[in-house]
Amino acid sequence: MTERTTHAEPLLQVRGLAKRFGSLLALDSVDLDVAEGSLTGLIGPNGAGKSTAFGCIAGAMRPTGGTVRFRGREIAGMAYHRVAALGVGRTYQIVQTFADMTVLEAVTTGALLRHPHVRDAVAHAEDVLAFVGLADKRYRLGRGLTIADKKRLEVARALATDPTLLLLDEVMAGLTPAECRDAVELLRRVLARGITVLMVEHVMEVLMPIAQHLVVIAAGKTIFSGTAQDAVRDPRVVEAYLGAPLEHQEIAVRRAGDGAS
Amino acid sequence: MSGAGVRTNGLALAAIVAVGVVASFAVHDAVTLDLAFTLLLYAVLGQSWNWISGYAGNISFGHAIFFGCGAYAAALCVTNGVSPWIAIPAGALAAAALAVIAGFPTLGLRGHYFSIATIAVAALVETFVRTAPWLGKANGFELPIRSGWAAMQFPSKGPYVLLALALFAAVQLATIALERSRLGYYLRALRANHAAAASVGIGERRTKLIAFAWSAVIASVAGVLYAQYTLFIDPPSTIALAVSIDIALIGVVGGIGTLWGPAVGALVYVVLAKGVALRIGGAGKGYDLVIYGAIICVIAALRPHGIVGSIVDVLRRRRGAAAPDATIACAP
Repeated sequence: MTERTTHAEPLLQVRGLAKRFGSLLALDSVDLDVAEGSLTGLIGPNGAGKSTAFGCIAGAMRPTGGTVRFRGREIAGMAYHRVAALGVGRTYQIVQTFADMTVLEAVTTGALLRHPHVRDAVAHAEDVLAFVGLADKRYRLGRGLTIADKKRLEVARALATDPTLLLLDEVMAGLTPAECRDAVELLRRVLARGITVLMVEHVMEVLMPIAQHLVVIAAGKTIFSGTAQDAVRDPRVVEAYLGAPLEHQEIAVRRAGDGAS
Repeated sequence: MSGAGVRTNGLALAAIVAVGVVASFAVHDAVTLDLAFTLLLYAVLGQSWNWISGYAGNISFGHAIFFGCGAYAAALCVTNGVSPWIAIPAGALAAAALAVIAGFPTLGLRGHYFSIATIAVAALVETFVRTAPWLGKANGFELPIRSGWAAMQFPSKGPYVLLALALFAAVQLATIALERSRLGYYLRALRANHAAAASVGIGERRTKLIAFAWSAVIASVAGVLYAQYTLFIDPPSTIALAVSIDIALIGVVGGIGTLWGPAVGALVYVVLAKGVALRIGGAGKGYDLVIYGAIICVIAALRPHGIVGSIVDVLRRRRGAAAPDATIACAP
């Protein structure tokens, strides 16, 4: 690859990503591209390896094979905190708050990455909290928040690090339909800021209306990459993700149709 | 951390210093001054421990070796005709180096594994000291008696209390600064959730090594002062496991990860351990240790966050979200 093709290269490029835990091959070969400024959805059935792939991209896990290029730079196997410092923010499927910190303190901790002085970091954190709609809860303890607010807090903490790429791991899981709508609205504003988003979602209909691009993995392999509309018509996706039994397919397809309307 | 919280803590510290300064001149009772010196010294050691074990959450059971660095640095300096003031930077340097060497492989260990590692390192250091002729082996050192500020030795106890007070004030101020610094935020984040901390770019080893080194430096300075005060040091009085456990108990009882926890813990320790010992320990049956141990157990069982931690919780609940400064003024 020549030096000046970076504009053609996606922000995040994953090739042949593999992760083995002992004898278990969690990831076999995952390929995915995330274009700058886009929202890309990563979906797949339970146990497909979505969260493992996420962990390997974010630096939380060391992949056993493959490459992860972020802004043209190889980051596979790099220390977790260094990947974050390069501009990859993330949230967790199971929320990981700083339990004994207030909301403002937790977000300030994230802001300190780019604003080493606490005073500046607090100011930045206040801006982020206003942006995500948590400003009125800034002095509450993280552990006392509702699930929806905890997820919002995780997004705020990640946003406070001024990420180029934001990895969201099932931020919609466990939310009520109304909370989901709020979360989608927040996502749109995150995208409007020019932040690229890669999100894992188990619930496909959440992604249908907002994702420009979908990557489907099953049994640790990428089986589809393309638009959401094409995904639901792809037989491999229907079989692997939506499941073989006919009644399940019908429900899922109907849901997907609702989501797109 | 708001300005109001800093003002409150600053005023409290100023009041303690004022009372201490007056007392160091007005009080001539040796027993009282000895208790005051011990109280301040333990408050400093507890705060030293608090930096790595309270704020960062890595419980150390080997903190006496850093205390020993200062004590032995003082002994080596004074017996070789060097000013004990030189022992402060020398001991601090040795303690910081020891912390970095001991901490590099162990600070990534979680929970009790780190604690076990600190016990092992402390045992190694103690064995080394007990067999090294230049460190006095098991006999320790008797420091030659001199007098005056240059020699950091005084015929009365008042100046020692003043020195301990100055050290205590400096360490409290440093801890206030820690709570308001990036390092303080990062340590608390690592303690709460190391994975989430890494996800916002916090390098665990680097951050904790810095805290561990500063923690060791604080304990070492206390060690210099201790050696100059007692004029006799040996392994049991400085680097033994029992000393490490005393330091950890003070930190735990007062409330880990809080600004005033170590001072409160030291107060409980001195009042209970020394007070009980003075009243009934003379019988030589060890009742004092039984009573002291029982009280520690009760505090640990009923108030796992320690005394100051419990007060912080109550204040938080009472003031709630209505008063924004509340959580911050007493934020651990």
